[in-house]
Amino acid sequence: MATSMRGLTQFIADIRGARVRDLEEKRINKEMANIRKKFKGSCLDIRNLFPQLTEQIYLDGNLDGYQKKKYVAKIIFTYILGYKVDVGHMEAVNLISSPKYSEKQIGYLAVTLLMHENSDFLRLVVNSIRKDLDGNNEIDNCLALHAIANVGGSEMAEALAEDVHRLLISPTSQTFVKKKAALTLLRLYRKHPDVIPAAEWALRIVSIMDDADLGVVICVTSLVMALAQDHLDAYAVCYTKAVDRLHRLVIEHEYSATYAYYKVPSPWLQVKLLRLLQYYPPSEDPTIRSVLHQVLQTIMNNSAEPTRNVQHNNAQHAVLFEAIGLAIHLDSASPLVGTAAVLLARFISSKETNVRYLGLDTMAHLAARAESLEPIKRHQSTIILSLRDKDISVRRRALDLLYSMCDVDNSELIVGELLRYLRVADYALREEMVLKIAILTEKYASSYKWYVDTILQLISAAGDHVGDEVWYRVVQIVTNTEDLQEYAAKVVFEHLKAPSTHESLVKVGGYILGEYGHLIANEPGYSPMEQFQVLHTKSQFCIASTRSLLLSTYIKWVNVFPEIKPQLVNIFERYRHVLDAELQQRACEFYALASRPDDDELLQNVCEEMPPFPPRVSALLGRLNMKHGDTEDKRTWVHGGKEANLDRDIVKRKADGSFAAVGDGQDIMGSLAGLEISASSAEAGGAIPDPVISTKPPRLTTGPNMDRWFDKLTYTAEGVLYEDDQVQIGVKSRYQGHLGQLAVYIGNKVSAPLTSFTTRIHVSDPDALSVTFAKMPPSTIGPRTQTQQLLHIECKQMFTTPPILSVSYLAGSHQTLSIRLPIVVTKFFEHVKLGAADFFERWKLIGGPPREDQAIFSIELNSAGQLDLAKHRQVVSGHRLNLLDDIDPNPNNLVAAGVLHMSVEGKVGCLLRLEPNREAKLCRLTLRSTSETVATEVRKLVQQPLKTDS
Amino acid sequence: MPSKAKSKIIQDACLLRLFSFTVQRANDTIGVPGSKVVYRQYASLFFVCEVGEEENELMTLEVIHRYVEVLDKFFGNVCELDLIFDFQKAYTILDELIVAGELAESNRRTVLTSAEATDIWERDEILRDALQDSFIS
Repeated sequence: MATSMRGLTQFIADIRGARVRDLEEKRINKEMANIRKKFKGSCLDIRNLFPQLTEQIYLDGNLDGYQKKKYVAKIIFTYILGYKVDVGHMEAVNLISSPKYSEKQIGYLAVTLLMHENSDFLRLVVNSIRKDLDGNNEIDNCLALHAIANVGGSEMAEALAEDVHRLLISPTSQTFVKKKAALTLLRLYRKHPDVIPAAEWALRIVSIMDDADLGVVICVTSLVMALAQDHLDAYAVCYTKAVDRLHRLVIEHEYSATYAYYKVPSPWLQVKLLRLLQYYPPSEDPTIRSVLHQVLQTIMNNSAEPTRNVQHNNAQHAVLFEAIGLAIHLDSASPLVGTAAVLLARFISSKETNVRYLGLDTMAHLAARAESLEPIKRHQSTIILSLRDKDISVRRRALDLLYSMCDVDNSELIVGELLRYLRVADYALREEMVLKIAILTEKYASSYKWYVDTILQLISAAGDHVGDEVWYRVVQIVTNTEDLQEYAAKVVFEHLKAPSTHESLVKVGGYILGEYGHLIANEPGYSPMEQFQVLHTKSQFCIASTRSLLLSTYIKWVNVFPEIKPQLVNIFERYRHVLDAELQQRACEFYALASRPDDDELLQNVCEEMPPFPPRVSALLGRLNMKHGDTEDKRTWVHGGKEANLDRDIVKRKADGSFAAVGDGQDIMGSLAGLEISASSAEAGGAIPDPVISTKPPRLTTGPNMDRWFDKLTYTAEGVLYEDDQVQIGVKSRYQGHLGQLAVYIGNKVSAPLTSFTTRIHVSDPDALSVTFAKMPPSTIGPRTQTQQLLHIECKQMFTTPPILSVSYLAGSHQTLSIRLPIVVTKFFEHVKLGAADFFERWKLIGGPPREDQAIFSIELNSAGQLDLAKHRQVVSGHRLNLLDDIDPNPNNLVAAGVLHMSVEGKVGCLLRLEPNREAKLCRLTLRSTSETVATEVRKLVQQPLKTDS
Repeated sequence: MPSKAKSKIIQDACLLRLFSFTVQRANDTIGVPGSKVVYRQYASLFFVCEVGEEENELMTLEVIHRYVEVLDKFFGNVCELDLIFDFQKAYTILDELIVAGELAESNRRTVLTSAEATDIWERDEILRDALQDSFIS
């Protein structure tokens, strides 16, 4: 190869030729010494300049670029072999600014390998990197990006994030630069999220998800995934984009053949998109839901295809498992999940380990979310069998799944199986198993008897792995449950009879027999003497803390079993001389206590029966959660049934006040209803924000004609809503009762396509008004063409703020328009016919304020100096009020009536009277309605187009 | 040759040991708390990735495969020696395929083209230098 350096090749060959490690080391030491000498040619100790640098830096003098490159390459190779290298850092830094690609490349390689993100040397390369980022040479751009992506830390993030972002969004960037810039930005964001204005850049970054190049889409999706997790609102628009892209990949097969991986359309992208959608609460939009359903269905159907080879199989399964995860997230009771459960059942008995592993993992996800565990329980025997799989990862998954799927019905069986397996389980698994068994036993105990039996079995089977929490808990429960005490004492006595018992069991025994031994003392075989002997024979094998516990037991017995007092006092006597301070003190105190006269009440008082413990949360769950705590970051679910996930959601929501209302699905929200969560989430609990609706309204686009266009459309059915040099937006609408349809026509006026076209609707009060797209909007509008989007509208309650349409697109730069849609409350009026008598009767019935709203405002006369009666009529009737002629004697006055239709609040009548005065150029507008807010709002709406512009 | 392979395996084993003391050997995945180790074996070579808990294991396996495919195309029936003697090329290709730990390009041809482009670029430079030198001397 032309690029090879002979010296380097020789060096590598020599090392490979070395027969033993000593020779290899010798060769390397020789080479390093040589390099050090070469570099030292003009050594300058700059430790004085950089006191923080501990190693010596060598500045090169007389070496040419090729030599430097060669030596640095040798150093890199030595480093890769695992040797520590302490030279060459400075040369690497110098090579980076070389004009020659081959030298620059080795320099960058050395920097990324020899240095870590906090290395002091990196400060020296920031400027060179910036120069390469800003340069016109794309290959240099890429080298710089690679370097940042490999070693960029918070310092680089501060210095270079802007430059990287520029490369990502610049229209002149080549696709391969864009890809790398996106991922480099991701690295910087992960290292130092504060320097990236993620919310501000959101729309621009998300718009790149529509890029024509799938490679760019993959990279940007990775970036969006990370950013969206922390800024769900700002990135909400990515939901639609992700669904649209999945639709195009999976259903339309719209991708170039090179992006198919063993016939699977870009599985990496699919997996990322499916995962991204799981970060958001399920969409409410029926269109998006149906498209998504179709996509998931297709993916599941595809899995029936026979697999061609390992690669195809892996890719297909990867997508499938992610799709199942999403299906569970969307609605765990849907038929899709039913299909998924059948597929999973097949996977958990698959021949392939990986598939079994993932099948069990996904099933645990299902168990953690599903309303009903029935579909999983059907395969209980297979899952139990998986505990004996030859692969430990699979066994671990099976354990997790059993833990998640356990409920009252199958708890005895599952716990029994787990107990049996515990005896042969891997050492690494045991502690977790013990905790899980203890939790399940307590949670699903159908009888106390079973609880005590199981826990004692657990302690005797895996004593070493039983943490103190487990036996504390047993004591708590026995103390608080009176019915259990006698039985517990008997069982623990039986267990203690075994020749070898675990220390934890002795502790439990000591405590329980001390407290409740007297309950069984009258039965044959459980006499005080026998109890004492059983316990005391164990004491010699126990550590000091256990022995002191036993001493406490004995003093309790002194109180209740006077017949064995001499033996007990004898023990105290002996323990008074042991070296352990704690034991000695106890023994002395107890001895003194026991030696007091029999009629003394002190002993009795001291040994009063323990009061019940205050109810407290089991420490076991805390322990288990702690074990998982650090990994929770990105998980969308945790092991352990619905409640565990519920708890976690609450915690998450409390921690994340800004986005309080976003849970993990409607089912969860529903069952939260009875719980007291933080105020903000309770308030928002009723309405799960649709991803199409962000909570903060976008800032309206302003323009000279914006208000005029909008006002006109409030009383007409069609017209222009917005126009500028690039686009024209028009609307056409039709209403009936509380329902309506609005078509938005968006025309591209320039001779280039508008790409990454995104439309969103923002409704300030989704409870009052629903506005949804009839179908997914297209992402591109061709040059000089028009696209039409249909909106379905439903008025549920009275509303005053019109919805906002946000349109963004790329035409050279990124443009965003936010325009009010002419959807106002009067659109939902229906005519009502009233005679004069009826009208006046109602008019009086409603009466004056507050149910009347009146305003006097100036009006303009028409060109002839007369009242513009035609316009008055047009405005009033345009607001869908029925003009009632012949009621008012003055022909200039207008009287009208209408009924507002709302699907939730029902109907509200409204009466209007308009009295213009030509001489004063004034007009009095009076509205009366049974609802104050309706009267005020309609008055405002009718007044707006009539009044003179001030 | 066998000694080299051995050292490679030892290195991998070291790597695995480094990740955690409670390494569990699975078929292709090894569970480490907080992250997963996914590896794939090609003849005597192991390709090991440490990935986050939530990463899709199967797709990670296929990233490895894609890398090996590209190496194979680039070197023409790749073998261990290619990776040892041309380690910088192996790194260049890896940088084309994976940036910041994420797959940057799944299209084999694109990766290959970029990798080859840098190769050509380098060769040009050497040629240019050689010509220059010969003129000067």
